[in-house]
Formats: sequence, C-alpha cells, structure tokens
Amino acid sequence: MIITVTPNPAIDKIYWIERLCLDDGEVPVMRATRSYLTAGGKGINVSIFLARLGIENIAMGFIAGETGRAVERRVRDEGITTSFIWVEGETRTNVTLLEHGHESRPIQITEQGPTVSPDALKRFIAHYKRALQRARYIFLGGSLPPGVPETFYQELTHLAHARRVPVIVNAAGEALTHALSEKPWLVKPDTRQRPLGTPEEILRTGREWIAGGIGAVLVSHHITHDVFITPQGAWDLEACDVQFKNLLGAEDALIAGTLSATAQGAPVEEAVRWGMAAATACAESEELVVTDRQRIEQALTKVHVYQL
Amino acid sequence: MKVKELMTRDLTAAEPTMTVRELIELFHQSGLSSVPVVNDQGRIVGIISERDIIEGALPGYFEVLYGITDMSHLSQKLREIEHDRIEFYMTPDVIKIEEDEDDLTAADLMVRKNVKSLPVVNRDGILVGMLRRIDLLKDLL
Repeated sequence: MIITVTPNPAIDKIYWIERLCLDDGEVPVMRATRSYLTAGGKGINVSIFLARLGIENIAMGFIAGETGRAVERRVRDEGITTSFIWVEGETRTNVTLLEHGHESRPIQITEQGPTVSPDALKRFIAHYKRALQRARYIFLGGSLPPGVPETFYQELTHLAHARRVPVIVNAAGEALTHALSEKPWLVKPDTRQRPLGTPEEILRTGREWIAGGIGAVLVSHHITHDVFITPQGAWDLEACDVQFKNLLGAEDALIAGTLSATAQGAPVEEAVRWGMAAATACAESEELVVTDRQRIEQALTKVHVYQL
Repeated sequence: MKVKELMTRDLTAAEPTMTVRELIELFHQSGLSSVPVVNDQGRIVGIISERDIIEGALPGYFEVLYGITDMSHLSQKLREIEHDRIEFYMTPDVIKIEEDEDDLTAADLMVRKNVKSLPVVNRDGILVGMLRRIDLLKDLL
C-alpha cells in the first residue's frame, strides 16, 4: 500500500482562454473556450495516477467544508481509499488560466487553505501511525495550510523511518529543509517559486544532500529538463519535441511515474525515466493525469538521458 | 461481487480516547452520523453514532419521549458529558464484514441485523472501508 499525504488539498479549476487581455482602460472579460474541474494537490494527483494504474493507495490530508466534500467524493470515485481529517473552514479552490499558445506558462491563483487546529493535527498523526502499518512507500507533498508547523514533513518522515518505510518528499522552503534532516529516500524540491539555480548549482546542492545521506534527488531546472542524482551518479533527463498542452500535473506525474515503476520492481534510475515519460505524456495532453501505457511508452522515445 | 469491490473506501474513524465534543465536531464537519472506533492498530473496538451520544446524555430518551419539549435540558446534559471519552458511549459489539465476503452475505447481514452500514475489515481485522446500503443498491441497478 502507498500512502500519499496532501496537507492542503484543493479543487483545481482550469480555464482555457484564447487571449489574456489585461490592457489599461478595459474591463477584462475573458471567455473560457473550455474548462476542467478536478480534485488536486500534489499527493492527490499522485494518488489518482497510481489508482488508474491499479496500484492501491490511501490519500491523507486535511479537508473542510463543501469543497472538502467535493475533493473527497472525486478522490473516492477514482477508487482511492480516503483517510482525511475534517477541519473548520473551507478547502481551497485553485484557479488556473491557460492562454492559447502559452500553455507552458500557466497563470495560477491559489488560496491559503483552512486553518488546522492542534487537535486536528493530533488526530492526523494517530491516523497516519495506523496507516503506516500497511505502508510500503510514503509520498509527502505540497504546501502546508495555516496551523501546520514547518516540521510536519520531518515528523512524518521520522515516523515512517521508525517502521522502515521509504519516503518521498516534494516540498519547498522550511518544510523541505526540516524534512531533509530525516534523510528521505527521494527528494524532489518544489522549485516553481524557489529555483535551485543553474544546472551546476543544482548538481552541487544535490551532491551535498546525497553526501548527507539522502537516497536520491530529482530537480527540475527547465520545463523539459530534470537532474537526477544518486550515490551512484548524476544524470540529466531531457524531454525533446514536447508539444505543450497543459503543464499542470506534469511534475506530479514525474513523481507518480517514478513511484509506480519503483513499486513494481524497477531500479530507481529506470523508474525516473519512466516518470519523465509520464510527465511528458501529461504535458502533451489537456488531461491532468495521463496513465495510458501506450501514450507513456510513446513519450519514452522522447526522453533522453545524459550522464553528468 | 466481493465487498471490497463495492465498499466506500473511507477510513474516517474515531479513537476511544476522543471526547464527546470532538466527536460532535467530527460529525458536523464530515456530515457522517456514525463512525467506527478503532485502536492504535486500526482494529475496530466499537461503533458510535449521534444516537449513542443523545442516549448517553439522556439515558432512555428514545424510549420515553416522542417529541422534544425542552432543548435546554438536553443542552445541559450534553455539556456535562462533553469532555467524557467516547469509549463510554460506543457500542462495543460491532457487526462487521470481511472484505472478501460476497454482496449477498453483506445484504443478508444488513437485513437480519437491521443496520444501514457495515464496517469492512481485512483478514487481520483492520478497518479498510465502510459498506453502506446505498453501495449495494447502486450495484444492483
């Protein structure tokens, strides 16, 4: 069983528009040519990907209000087991605008999320400890809602390691820094707002983390490039000739693809290549999650790996 | 069809040490009216409903009264028990079903025991979901 933790889930509403018009003097009214609504958040996207491949998993996190009910229903409709903690307030609704011809640069408006009380945190830990008894892998990802301490991922990683369960962390800022001290199995820094720098700087930082005991590091440094570092070496993975339609969810597909291949016995270097293909298939589709094996295998031909 | 193919895959549950107030908040926020109570291993040790809480505050309430005439009395009694652990009010003898049982066994159990839902457990007795009457009805259409 794989456990995914999304502390701050959301309903993701995506609009496709012909032209983003924000000229002075106009009251901008943009009519969407299409729209799409889905349950989202990093862990939930990973859960959906795994479930569509027939891999059993439990989605955990905090939800609230009517939006929380919508998230829970959509997650369950995917055949995912839910173990959410209910809190006061309202789960986030995040809006994304995709302008025709600029699909690789989505415009996102994200909400903060409901406040999590100390009692709710305590209840989450109790649920998490129970779930750990059935876990083979843990995925921790995304932003933390108000009330959740920056040491949250660190604590969850520590509890997982006490039961010898490998952990993947996909986070940014202090939450990531704290989690690193527990030496997760795989770290994917969320670099959307905090880039790690040039490929050379990424390589240096990644190697420092590996020397510190982290199992593997995966860093996106360009829309179509990822650097993968393990104790055995470092590689640059490049996806060529990508026809972007929707970049949302591609990063989550990268992790979910890697995790699904690993869970099915692939060596991690091979699993990451499969993950990169899954991310490419997602980026070339309007769907948020693509799990069609044929499409992923086609995308695999676009993924090139160079040893660094 | 097996129960695990029909059940609602939800692990929402209470712990025996949860207070009555926390349980009422859980019911209010989640929209649920009953939840299984599980121990640290995830094994079911009871089930608790809104009705159990009302009966806990006012024992004999459902047998004696046919209508509510005084809310303040119930409110006062609820405040008296709000910090109590729910383990004192839960039903410890839980009617549950294993995930590999078939739908006919589940339907028969629900009819015979007159329950709307059944906690579903795996072979180790760990909670893995809930089977509701509507899950069975939906499958029959």
